[in-house]
Amino acid sequence: MTTGSAYSEDDPRRLLSSTHELAQRVRREQRATWFPLLVFAAVTFAAIPVLRYSGHHLGPCAATGPGMKVCTVYPNAQFVYWPIALVLAYVAIAAFYIHRSRARGIETRVRPYAVAGIIIAVALTGAALWVAHTAPSPGRNLIGLTGFGHGLASEIPIGLALLVLAWAERNRALLLLTLAYLAVVLSPIPLRISPAVWTVVPQLVTGGTMLLLGGIGFAPAQRPLRPPAP
Amino acid sequence: MTGHPANGLDDTVHQRVRLGILTIAHEARRVEFSYLRSNLELSAGNLSQHLGVLENAGLVTIEKGYAGKRARTWVTLTKAGRTALAEEIAHLKLLISRVEQPGPQPDQADGT
Repeated sequence: MTTGSAYSEDDPRRLLSSTHELAQRVRREQRATWFPLLVFAAVTFAAIPVLRYSGHHLGPCAATGPGMKVCTVYPNAQFVYWPIALVLAYVAIAAFYIHRSRARGIETRVRPYAVAGIIIAVALTGAALWVAHTAPSPGRNLIGLTGFGHGLASEIPIGLALLVLAWAERNRALLLLTLAYLAVVLSPIPLRISPAVWTVVPQLVTGGTMLLLGGIGFAPAQRPLRPPAP
Repeated sequence: MTGHPANGLDDTVHQRVRLGILTIAHEARRVEFSYLRSNLELSAGNLSQHLGVLENAGLVTIEKGYAGKRARTWVTLTKAGRTALAEEIAHLKLLISRVEQPGPQPDQADGT
């Protein structure tokens, strides 16, 4: 290649479009969206037995009428499992991106994503703890309250972390998937499940399945590892 | 900005290969020499020449090291490089908009 070809040096439209195409290609090559989606799906599915068999804690109650009260009940492992699992997930995702980008010869900016994810997970676990220890409002729908308190520690941090990833990767498909995921998992599922300890399961299965399908969907579209030329 | 937008173009950046190097470096924390070479389809000597120009202008930094036993050269965009790239893109867009504007051609408008 020479450095002096007349049209390519001087034609601004051509220069701008080739610059744009190059930037798009480099962005595409750095994307590995399937991996975080599969990790979050695994974390979500693993939560089912952990939350189901860890026992349940009775939180504060509020009187709803004569001799009646509504109480907050949450799994014992709720505020231990999610922060630990999510922080480990971010560490795994960051390590994967670093290894992959070094093997390709182009280092991705992954630290802001991992740090943002960890901050979100810890902050929202704190918020969920506060919600769980606040007496439920008598007029409030119990299922809705349970769903929100649960999502605050689990689905919301996953969704926010995926939004950050969509921004970092400039990935519109991931943005749409994440918005759909948040809309689905934060909508209370009006099921009366017996025994009540299985209440969290439909939400986790729905969210985990969406993440799993998303991961499977993205995997073939993102190019396999291509080592740089020696 | 005054005068014709072409006057604002920086000769160091306004060159297809060097613009390509800055564009790739802008999309990553740092980029390896071999990645640039394969993506820009350049010979090692040619790429080294262009990198030298950019390094001398303070637009990129180059660090050499090892990954295991393999020697590697990493290229990182500097703050000045980021600014120069943004300015080049802005000038190119301005040039295109001037060309696409209906009415008198840029030459005529400038009275040249």
